[in-house]
Amino acid sequence: MTAPLLRVRGLTKKYGEVTVLEGVDLDVAPGRALALRGRNGAGKSTLLRCVTGADEPTSGTVELDGSPVDERSVRVRRDVAAVTDDLDFFPDLSVVEHLDLLARAHRVDDAEALVDEVLEEVRLVAQAAQLPGTLSSGQRRRLALASAFVRPRRLLVLDEPEARLDRPGLAWLVERLRREKVDGLGILLASHDPDLVAAVADDVLDLDALGTPEPPVSSEP
Amino acid sequence: MSAEVRELRRQVRTWRRGRTDTSLLEAFQDAYVAIFSALVVGAMAINVLLNLRVVTSGACTSEACVDARGALGWLLALAGVTAVLGVARLLGPMLASPAVGSWLLATPLDRTALLRGRLLGTLAVAAVAGAVPAAVGGLLGGFAASAVAWSAVLAALLCVLLVALAARAQAASDRGIRALGRMLAAVLWAGLVLVAAGLVPGASGSPATPVLAGAAVLVGAGAAAYVVRAGRALAGIRRQRLTDGGALLPGLSGALSSLDLTLLFDVLLARHWRARSTVRIVRGRAVGGGALVWREVVRLRRNGAVLTALAAGLVLPYVAATLGLGHLVLVVVTLTGFVGGVGLFTALRVLSRTMSLLRCFPQPAWVVRVACLGVPGLVLVLWGLATAPAVHHAVGGPWPDSLLTALAAGVTVAAAAVRWTTSRPPDYRLPLIASPMGAVPTSLYGSVLRGFDVLLLGTIPLLAAPTAVGAAWSVALSAAVLAFLVSRR
Repeated sequence: MTAPLLRVRGLTKKYGEVTVLEGVDLDVAPGRALALRGRNGAGKSTLLRCVTGADEPTSGTVELDGSPVDERSVRVRRDVAAVTDDLDFFPDLSVVEHLDLLARAHRVDDAEALVDEVLEEVRLVAQAAQLPGTLSSGQRRRLALASAFVRPRRLLVLDEPEARLDRPGLAWLVERLRREKVDGLGILLASHDPDLVAAVADDVLDLDALGTPEPPVSSEP
Repeated sequence: MSAEVRELRRQVRTWRRGRTDTSLLEAFQDAYVAIFSALVVGAMAINVLLNLRVVTSGACTSEACVDARGALGWLLALAGVTAVLGVARLLGPMLASPAVGSWLLATPLDRTALLRGRLLGTLAVAAVAGAVPAAVGGLLGGFAASAVAWSAVLAALLCVLLVALAARAQAASDRGIRALGRMLAAVLWAGLVLVAAGLVPGASGSPATPVLAGAAVLVGAGAAAYVVRAGRALAGIRRQRLTDGGALLPGLSGALSSLDLTLLFDVLLARHWRARSTVRIVRGRAVGGGALVWREVVRLRRNGAVLTALAAGLVLPYVAATLGLGHLVLVVVTLTGFVGGVGLFTALRVLSRTMSLLRCFPQPAWVVRVACLGVPGLVLVLWGLATAPAVHHAVGGPWPDSLLTALAAGVTVAAAAVRWTTSRPPDYRLPLIASPMGAVPTSLYGSVLRGFDVLLLGTIPLLAAPTAVGAAWSVALSAAVLAFLVSRR
């Protein structure tokens, strides 16, 4: 069996007295996709934030290739491409300039060609010179997704990637993620779309099935 | 006013009165601290101004100084008028909240009747906002009491005229008002250059009351005519143009109420670039951290307005030197550079605000930050160096010392700008303290001083010793601050 690219063991996350996640275990192997499912507030985004190192778990371990994930590490930043809801853009850089900057910062060979290719894939060629503040929410989402595909990566972390995408956009996403798997990338995604999960995921982790953590016992009557 | 609007207002009044839980008298009693404080602070401000007038009258005896002082009185009034027009254009001047835009402006109600009261309110605010700097300028410029009063009236009427013009332009999508704003700014700048160069016309400081009164009558007549025309144009303002300013105002007031000036900057920055919509694409160069540096070069070329403002601001230290402010010229240098220069650090600001964007880059955070601050930081250091003749004129001493002092002032400005742009919003998880605004975190009030603290830290050694030693201390302190800001998590 292939050694997992991402290994999470006993991950618990508490915000003050509230336990959001408790004892989560998961593995993502290269060329495999794991989907997180669960109701709103089940902790999907929190789990993804802990995996990318944006949030620190209260307890438990998150390892990438056997080493603990630390978002300050250059290796983690290079290998993990994350698309989350809180991704913002530079207000004064156009769509294509964002992708170009990211590709070049990651030392991509022939960045211009790759950027043009991805831009075409996400159907943002017409908006190439547009500033992010003037994009529709769906276009912004496609730009965020494109930012993950113009850079080297080994693990894709996607938080509800289907959000605000139209039908053709969704079809492209399914096809693209399947290609990523064929290329040997690991994918961890949180999604509410059963069709996307069925089309892409090899395994599903239902956070609801892990059970809702018990609320803390109040000392007050 | 149409019957529907009158009926609607009556209903709104009824709803509001139905929900009141305090009388006007009780409200005044509750707000007595605020009213009393405003009166005390206002009285103190007037007292300070009167004392300053006496001090400057005593210190300013030469003909050149008297002329420059009089000219500055006019220029302060002009700056006030220009600022009023700028703010009016930023917000509309006519604006409506998103709720009014959705619920009322979308209905067949008479839009003129809905907006007329707002127009009059806006004009009143503009008049006051224009009169105050004119009065202050007149006081400090050594004008006679009647001239101070008439210049304030003149500025107030000019503001009313300009805001009425802006309201008309809002309906007609007329870009002429933008050109007018730029022309006023250019005249202001030319006036400052004349003061700095000591070329002020001799009569500028002694305005004759009849001339001012005549001008006020003329401007007042124009203002009255344009207010009527603006009132007639209200129905022609598009909903989008009204709600644009209405959507901006809550963001600005929210940022101000939380004393978060960087949030204010973010709101204005986002609006500025949204209005621009598209840019000419400039492909990247270099790789790694070099790609970020190249983007800063592109930003510099793209952000011409900030560079122009910074270059135009260079005149202020020279004005201060001409006025004989001595060592205080250094304060003018650092303050001007800071206010004019923070707009160059947009990339650093966005990366400080959004950690997820910072994490997209493979380099360590400090490398990304250094790459983003290098180019604008260099611009500010060069700007500081460009003030060297003013510093030399004001402080004296050998030229190398003046050059080093100006260079250190530039480094201080850059460090303060980085401190300001990398500041974090108030942390509401910290212990909260009671205040008239409700519970606020302990870091709230301190956040207003961010940037200015570093400015002070770097300027004090220069004020104490505007020599190579003082410059070395200043640069060392600024460098330490920069190292801390860049390396923190």
